[in-house]
Amino acid sequence: MQQKMKEIALLFLLLIAGVISGFAQLRTVEGKVLNEQSKPIANANVFIKGTVDGATSDSLGHFSFTTDEKGEITLCSRMLGYAAFTVQVPGNNSSALVLIMRPDNITLDNVVISAGNFRLKGDSQFGKMSAVDIVTTAGSNGDLYHSLGTLPGVQLVGESGKLFIRGGDSDESQTYIDEMHVLSPYTTSGENDPVRGRYSPFMFEGINFSTGAGSSEYAQGLSGVLSLNTKDVSPISKTGVNVSSVGMGGGGTQAFEKGSVSVNLDYEDLGAYHKLIPDRLNWIKPYKLFSGSGQVRFNPNQRTVFKTFIGYDRTTFVQQITSLDNPTTRDFGMKDDNFYLNSTYQKTTESGYKIFAGAAFSFKNQHIDNAVLPEDTYREKEWEVHLKTKATKRFTDFLRINAGLENFFRHDETAYTYSSTVHPDSISHSISALFATAIININPNLYAELSDRMEYTSINHEWNSNPRLAMNYTLNGIHFSGVIGKYTQLPENKYLMLNKDLPAEECTQYVGGMYYEKKDKIYRIETYYKKYNDLALQEPTALNSNGYGYSKGVDVFFNDRSLFKNFEYMLAYSFNLSKRKYQDYTELSTPQYATTHNATASIKYNIPALKSILGLTNRFASGRPYHDPTKEGIMNSTTGFYNSVDMSVTYLASKKIIIYASASNLLGRQNVYNYNYTADTASPEGYRRTPLLDSSTHFFYIGIFITLSGKTAYDVSNF
Amino acid sequence: MKTIKSILCVLFLTLSFVARSQDLAPIVQNVNKAKDVSEFIQVRSKLERFVALQPQQWLPGYYLAYVDVQLSFRVAAKEEKLQYLSEAETYLNKLTELKETDKSENYTLKGFRLYALIASDPQANGPKYSGEIINDYETALGINPNNPRALVLLAIYKNDMAKFMHQTYGNFQKDLEKASAILADENGTSLVPTWGKGWVDFALNKK
Repeated sequence: MQQKMKEIALLFLLLIAGVISGFAQLRTVEGKVLNEQSKPIANANVFIKGTVDGATSDSLGHFSFTTDEKGEITLCSRMLGYAAFTVQVPGNNSSALVLIMRPDNITLDNVVISAGNFRLKGDSQFGKMSAVDIVTTAGSNGDLYHSLGTLPGVQLVGESGKLFIRGGDSDESQTYIDEMHVLSPYTTSGENDPVRGRYSPFMFEGINFSTGAGSSEYAQGLSGVLSLNTKDVSPISKTGVNVSSVGMGGGGTQAFEKGSVSVNLDYEDLGAYHKLIPDRLNWIKPYKLFSGSGQVRFNPNQRTVFKTFIGYDRTTFVQQITSLDNPTTRDFGMKDDNFYLNSTYQKTTESGYKIFAGAAFSFKNQHIDNAVLPEDTYREKEWEVHLKTKATKRFTDFLRINAGLENFFRHDETAYTYSSTVHPDSISHSISALFATAIININPNLYAELSDRMEYTSINHEWNSNPRLAMNYTLNGIHFSGVIGKYTQLPENKYLMLNKDLPAEECTQYVGGMYYEKKDKIYRIETYYKKYNDLALQEPTALNSNGYGYSKGVDVFFNDRSLFKNFEYMLAYSFNLSKRKYQDYTELSTPQYATTHNATASIKYNIPALKSILGLTNRFASGRPYHDPTKEGIMNSTTGFYNSVDMSVTYLASKKIIIYASASNLLGRQNVYNYNYTADTASPEGYRRTPLLDSSTHFFYIGIFITLSGKTAYDVSNF
Repeated sequence: MKTIKSILCVLFLTLSFVARSQDLAPIVQNVNKAKDVSEFIQVRSKLERFVALQPQQWLPGYYLAYVDVQLSFRVAAKEEKLQYLSEAETYLNKLTELKETDKSENYTLKGFRLYALIASDPQANGPKYSGEIINDYETALGINPNNPRALVLLAIYKNDMAKFMHQTYGNFQKDLEKASAILADENGTSLVPTWGKGWVDFALNKK
């Protein structure tokens, strides 16, 4: 018994000793936290790894705390916006410690302002455009490309609807969805009727628009790249329908714990609209567009995303056309099928590698009756397979590397039939590329991006190297950036079919700019010079690559959301001088699409009292050059200026019903884009002239978007 | 004798641990008491240490995300607001992978974070996140219909939207009373989220 009592007493002693030891022999750890410029960092969290012993630094960067940890300790320091800092502190040294913290990788990676690039991501501090912004921009008519047309650097080509950037032709701009190429991003339209984007802006949460000197990662775009990112996660189950003056649609998303499935169907029929508001075109069968799209997203964990997007649309119409040269009318009949499938996989590994792999398939099948002459037919089948893989890793605070490889397999076949004679043509070829970019953070205010894209084009057995250097320097919140880059792109298929040996067209770009953002105001100015070489040129004797040209100019952008509450206005101006000797321009001249001055003034006013957002946009462009055969030289005349005042209203009828209405060209100006001349012996000048006008002076749209599901509201997106 | 020894050993280990470490409970109490930026930053630092020490525990990460959201309301610089909200999102995403996470509370906090994002820029973020915020709160209530935080935040949001639409939200008072009653019954233990009373008071005053 005595022995047992001794054991109990010993245990008590141990217990007391252990507890006391917990409070005894405390050691003080103290020092200061500084940044790289030796300025104190306040509110840094300094603590011993593996314990909760620590303190928060004060306004002078000082910290001090006690601990009972003995021997060597690992001291950690953390601060939002800075890289986690750790240091080994020996047991005999715990005072006057100096911890130097550096901006963290995420902060470094967030530097997105580089010359020529607009990052239009919703949450980005620099980004200002989302799907809602797009549809509430007057004049956009809910179309992504029309909305981008209000940004500086984009030239107004009203009869086309496609992107023309900084003096470049429309085929010099490429569209990517989730990093994968889209072969035909525009809908098909009638003659001189502007096209629209095939995909709803509501599908995308990130819109990156490069108006020049863009990343070497993207292929075959001499002038610009539009990179669209679909949502990685769609957590809301929802359904919705819409009815508009041009059609109807509906769809929904079913969200699961680790993914979602979205489906959307739309049908447009302009027959009723044109009966109510006739345009200048003569429709035998109205424009009809059926489109369906779907997306599956799967997130097995926070670091992995699988996405598959599928889209199909079919366009049909018959339009009666009277050619100036041929008095016989013809019924231009269009049937266009377009299919797009895109599947991507993204994973961030534990070791910090961001891995991407994707595959995309684009297919276009077009059948046109009476395409050029009565009784002819034109068929085109074009497809592309795009395979891409890449990896990104930040190795140090100083260096991040992005590298990958991709392949494009392309096929295009055409058949023109007239008088029972078929004129077939086709090309099949591939483009293989290896790209690598090193992003070097020289210091927190200066970074450089050095990249190259090595590309092999099988059709002409040609290798091309596209090096690019971008620099960005930040001083007092002003971002200065400059880029020098070389870009190559194969000539259009219609030229490759005639001469498969044509080399890639080349453009060297020099871009410099400034960007400043403060208190809801954005200021941006950029200047550029683009030098074109090896452009396809149709000379009287041969089709060759002797074409060349240049484009230079200045883009200015200002956005202000602080003038008064709920009001935002934007001003954009572009000055461009562009000349080319290419295609059928046999002398160095300004292309017909190019305009010297483009300006946009746009306002948005959210009026809570009326539950409405009002948008008003005024677009202006100086006259377009055109060729007048009665004068000497080519492209020797200029049309009158373009001006259009557009308005839109978004009205929240209830939390489940949104009504959107827009009207274009309120002032009713007759905008002339070009003049077509035809020989006319009756005319004293020998020619008859016809202006190329908008298909209609005004376009009116009204749509009602109804949310059907119970858990969401104020949301017109079915994706 | 063996039992006494075992009890003493357990007591020894427990007391040693308690004496050597800090408990989460007083930190959570400090979260609920914090009013200004410096108080929230102090408590945030302590929570951050807990998260580093116990990454598999959901409550420290949950409260850290909550404090980040609270700080986003209180700091002036928009860039700083967005940094806090971005970090809150990171922690909330991590919580979804932990088995112990209370999903109803997690959805509520996700919605609360979106509410803060809208507050940081109502003009731009209001139309963008309105659908998602309602979805988050309603999903939270679908999992636990008696989640007082989801009840009060959803009631506030619906009431605000009804005012914007020149309507009234008829269940506002009823929802607040229900949330208030549930909050009063919560025993204040640190093992579950206990915040929310301040929002009921805020809503009652705002009404």
